[in-house]
Amino acid sequence: MIAYLIRRFLQSILVLLIVMFVTFILPYFETGGITEPAYVILQNHATHAAVHAFALQNGLLKPFYVRFWDYLTQLVFHGNWGYSWKNQQTVWSLMVTYIPRTIWLALISLVITILIALPLGAYQATRRNSIFDYSATSALFILYGVPAFLLCLLIITWFSIGTIHLPTPPTTDSAWLIFTDPKAFILPVAALTLLNLAFLSRFMRSAVLDVLVQDYIRTAKAKGCSSRRVLFHHAFRNALGPIVIILGLFVPGLFGGALIVESVFNYEGIGYQTVNAATYSDIPTVLGITLLTTILTLFGNLLADVALGVINPRVRVEGRS
Amino acid sequence: MTPDDSLPSSGATTPMGHTPTNGPGTPTSPSILELTPDAERVGQAHGTSPITDDESTFATFVPLWRQRLRIFTQNKLAIASVIYIAIIFLFCYLGPVVWHTNQTNQATALFNPENSPPSSHLWLGSDASGYNELGRIMFGGEYSLSLGLLAGFVTIVVGTLYGMISGFLGGIIDTTLMRLLDAFLSIPVLFLLITLVTVFPRTVTSLIVIIGVIGWFGNARIIRGDALLIKKLEYSQAARSMGAGSWHIIRRHVFPNSVSNIVTVSTFAVADAILFLTTLGYLGLGMPLPATDWGTMLNNASQYLANGYWWQLYPLAVIFILLIVAITYVGEALRDAFEVRLLER
Repeated sequence: MIAYLIRRFLQSILVLLIVMFVTFILPYFETGGITEPAYVILQNHATHAAVHAFALQNGLLKPFYVRFWDYLTQLVFHGNWGYSWKNQQTVWSLMVTYIPRTIWLALISLVITILIALPLGAYQATRRNSIFDYSATSALFILYGVPAFLLCLLIITWFSIGTIHLPTPPTTDSAWLIFTDPKAFILPVAALTLLNLAFLSRFMRSAVLDVLVQDYIRTAKAKGCSSRRVLFHHAFRNALGPIVIILGLFVPGLFGGALIVESVFNYEGIGYQTVNAATYSDIPTVLGITLLTTILTLFGNLLADVALGVINPRVRVEGRS
Repeated sequence: MTPDDSLPSSGATTPMGHTPTNGPGTPTSPSILELTPDAERVGQAHGTSPITDDESTFATFVPLWRQRLRIFTQNKLAIASVIYIAIIFLFCYLGPVVWHTNQTNQATALFNPENSPPSSHLWLGSDASGYNELGRIMFGGEYSLSLGLLAGFVTIVVGTLYGMISGFLGGIIDTTLMRLLDAFLSIPVLFLLITLVTVFPRTVTSLIVIIGVIGWFGNARIIRGDALLIKKLEYSQAARSMGAGSWHIIRRHVFPNSVSNIVTVSTFAVADAILFLTTLGYLGLGMPLPATDWGTMLNNASQYLANGYWWQLYPLAVIFILLIVAITYVGEALRDAFEVRLLER
């Protein structure tokens, strides 16, 4: 297991380098080349001299590999994530301010999603093709089919502007909004939960379905286990394996969903900042946020693997092939 | 075997050399449409020949694909979904041909009242620029559906090739390709989408390429799992031991046997591509004027929802959501049809 974790760690570093390379090289394809962001940041009436000065100051005129190496060494040896062109602050301070806000949102929603999706999926699997299964499936499919922004806007229209008046998050960059104003979290968390519910619960349903036809379930039934014990002790636990892996892969999806939810609700989290940075070609910010999200994702995957080892003893012994 | 005289109408559509063996007493109706394996892959029905289910000669043998077709057609919701998808496609592609409305000329569109509620003249009202909303839904649908289908196709082709190569070759190539895939999967999709769309011009081709480039990661992973599995099965090993090359094995064994997963994955890929396009519309990065797509329309309409212009949002939203639901449901039904444990043994 230790050797496996070390190998996974080394591979993660490789993955990070690839992500960094991809994100780094993308701005070079913009129509104006790498100096294009200068025009966006300095607005349209910028003089050639100003653009040149901006490019020189931010090292845009250096060759690609020099810039890449500089960024890498600064990041690794000095913990320097760069300087946001648009916000006029370091990318690190930007992330420290806004990522906790997104994590609150994503985490609460994830917990609620798991609490609803897993029992729902398992129950649907045991009652396959019943009225309940059909209606739950239809509801989940509709949730899957609704574009994220539309769901958020409909929620705002119906529950915030309409007859039921629930507040939407106020404009603040406090990370502790959840404690000072928990009511403001209801709508964004509900939106994010509804968006992720379908995916996870469909997965749980098919995972339990796969388990229910196995021989050991038949054996358990044959030896007289109650259906509750079969479901929880034999089926649920075995179905959890694939679910844990999916949860690990789910982290980028959670951030992606949060991005839309944040930007519709005007909730100033990291997703909101990303949309801004991407629209304004604020390359250092996009780069920094992408790298950090990648790290979180890789960490999520790693955590999922470890959790899998805890749930499934076979993995602990052999390591995953 | 004699040509069946109970098939007066479908006799013309029966291919040459294919003699129907349907006895007069067989319970299956001769008008039931039968799918060719190719048509089955996309879930579209077209009549080729009546079901040949002669119990006396082939008491137990039912071809695999026909069992699958039976599982698929037993699912009434799946049939309804296929019909709905077909109707929407006809609506978007044939609708404008039959019933032409101005959707591109902003100047003449202003002759219509702006944001007019539904009336006998404008069945679904008009939008903020005075375009006829019903015609607008058809016009935007053409773009959304074409882009979704083509982008979905790109994700399938790229994902299948990548997954096949990775899973089949194995070893260091597999490890490298999979870590590369991990890297792509770790970058949140929307970040990539925004960056790519701001970097490349917004034309039909580049949108197809961008959505295609982003959507194939998950497909590749599924197909790779298949290739890895099939490579180890006896028939592949047997072919290899007889001296077949890698390409031959991929073409004759691995690909045909993973078709079930590829088909299922492609339905979801199309639904996802259409949804991606909608997200782009929300970010203001959809098809630029004078063209439009459903994402852009939904976004524009939902901005004015507080003004009470419901006809701009709800009809399109219902059509759109039901379409995604239908495509997804067809995918689920196909997956059930390919599921081994549901086959009659």
